[in-house]
Amino acid sequence: MSAGRDPGGRTSADVRSSAPVWWLVFRRELADLWIGGKALNLLILFSVLMSITAFLLATNSELSLTPPRMMIVTTLQAAISFGLFIGLVIAAESFSGERERATLEPLLLAPAGRRQIVAGKYLAALSPWPVALLLSFPYVTILAQGDIALVPALLWATILGTLVAVVYTGFGMLVSIWSDSSRTSLFVSLLAYILSLLPAQLPGGFLASPVGAVIEATNPLEAARQFLLKGFVEVRPVEELWGLLYAPIALTVLVLAVVFLYAAPRLRLEATAGLGRSIGRGVEVAR
Amino acid sequence: MQHAGSAHAAAEPPGSPGEPILVAQDIHRSYGSRRALRSLSFSLRPGRVLGFLGPNGAGKTTAIRVLTTILEPTAGRFEVDGVGSEHPDRIRAKIGVLPEGLGFPQQGTGLEYLTYFGQLYGRRSADARRIGLELLDDVGLRNRANSLVGTYSHGMRQRLGIARALVNDPRVVFLDEPTLGLDPRGQKELLELIQGIARRRNAGVVLSSHLLSEIEGICDDVVIMNSGQVVAKGTVAEVIGRSAEDGAQSNGVRVRVPAPSVAAAAALLEAVPGVRGTATDSVGWLSVEMGDSEEPEGQPDRNRLLDALIRAEIPVLGFEVAGGRLQDVFLQLTAEAIE
Repeated sequence: MSAGRDPGGRTSADVRSSAPVWWLVFRRELADLWIGGKALNLLILFSVLMSITAFLLATNSELSLTPPRMMIVTTLQAAISFGLFIGLVIAAESFSGERERATLEPLLLAPAGRRQIVAGKYLAALSPWPVALLLSFPYVTILAQGDIALVPALLWATILGTLVAVVYTGFGMLVSIWSDSSRTSLFVSLLAYILSLLPAQLPGGFLASPVGAVIEATNPLEAARQFLLKGFVEVRPVEELWGLLYAPIALTVLVLAVVFLYAAPRLRLEATAGLGRSIGRGVEVAR
Repeated sequence: MQHAGSAHAAAEPPGSPGEPILVAQDIHRSYGSRRALRSLSFSLRPGRVLGFLGPNGAGKTTAIRVLTTILEPTAGRFEVDGVGSEHPDRIRAKIGVLPEGLGFPQQGTGLEYLTYFGQLYGRRSADARRIGLELLDDVGLRNRANSLVGTYSHGMRQRLGIARALVNDPRVVFLDEPTLGLDPRGQKELLELIQGIARRRNAGVVLSSHLLSEIEGICDDVVIMNSGQVVAKGTVAEVIGRSAEDGAQSNGVRVRVPAPSVAAAAALLEAVPGVRGTATDSVGWLSVEMGDSEEPEGQPDRNRLLDALIRAEIPVLGFEVAGGRLQDVFLQLTAEAIE
């Protein structure tokens, strides 16, 4: 068999003529995620959690007359929190999982840019987010009971949720690039996820303090939660809410820059010695 | 003892027929303060199989990872088909690699796997699929082309891995322990396949393995490593020959006789003039140490041993010159380096 070597000894593989690598990796990852069942399993979990949330809200509404807008906002907050979790988990396992399964080396041996490989995997990890968002629409629509805030709330939730999903998926990918073990990368990612959910459980007085304001301003998930709450329940004018968008936008830019400008070109078969091993050691100590 | 002489000069001008397609020049690789690879230099011509030998931890996998651009050398450089190591992307287009312990996706068929990698190497979908089918045919997996890779046996996965290493029609193929975990038949078939790759495709093959007898059978050249450095290199015959000159090849033979006859055979052989002593090992081989022979190659002395056994009607199951195999050289060289 000859695979197209010309008389000059140049192989046809010297000339890239097929689709871009990021697209090939993206398609391959999509097939693994969706046909392999991982994305579907996580979306089923998402649907179950959304159903429980909606049921509790509907029951609560009958007892205490929770206003529809509060239910819209709470349901959308839940959709964002649960939805970004899917991307985070998939991204956190992307490279560390390949290292564990010994399937990363052939990918790195292909004459393809590391950024393109990371981009393909990143987009695939992000792919369940729009599906999760769409799945949440019927719950919100039913709980809204015809409130006129439904459509703008859905639009803002789409924008904010997408920004936050990009940040968390990117964070998961970073941890995965720098980790040799998927247990380590999942542990670190889930720890960060849980920490970012904590402000919602803190008392209102604390959040009003300077420390609380910093947490609110730097935590994209909390910023999105506050934006929806203040915009649609407290009905504050949009001009007052712009400040809450800074954190999600700034972190989106920062995470994407770190992933594609710093981490992706340094993607190696074994995780980067310094940071990756430090994370691993930290996790072992924590255990 | 250091056999640093190269069987193939690295300084031949590029473009000439039979020029080396892989040239490694004084490559070093360290992990922190640990030096995993020291001064690795060798060359490989098209159509030849080079065996990379060494005990565990000798630096074989590190060497292969450096030469396949997965790791960067701490010092030194190499060229693949005229492309220097400062252009890793261009080198990757010219090499095929079967890493040790390669994993495979559970989803997808063998053909889909090869098509995907064909596309990653720049082929259009239809072309990649066609090449994939041809490669599956070459490695004997055509009838399993549409089976899920998860259903393949270990040997079939190794074959699929070799097919993947060939999707870009590489000039140099690196195979790291390809026969690990295969049964004897699987090992034999895979080694024949590897030899075929070098001959039919006129590609250079770098083969890392612990199976010394098989390596001896299919390799043209050999590089023996120990503790990160080359302890011998050249053609297989040269390495064995140089070791003989340096004393690695002792003036002795190994004889195998049925277990009940071992004691009688030992007593008989010790009585033969010129025999210094005998020793038995656990698998029924009798090692016979002989004094310096005045005869060329010591052949008449060895014939006398055989003659004595035949006259005593002791069945001879095996008879070989000690130190004449790659395995003996390997053991002797690596032991020397450790000392």
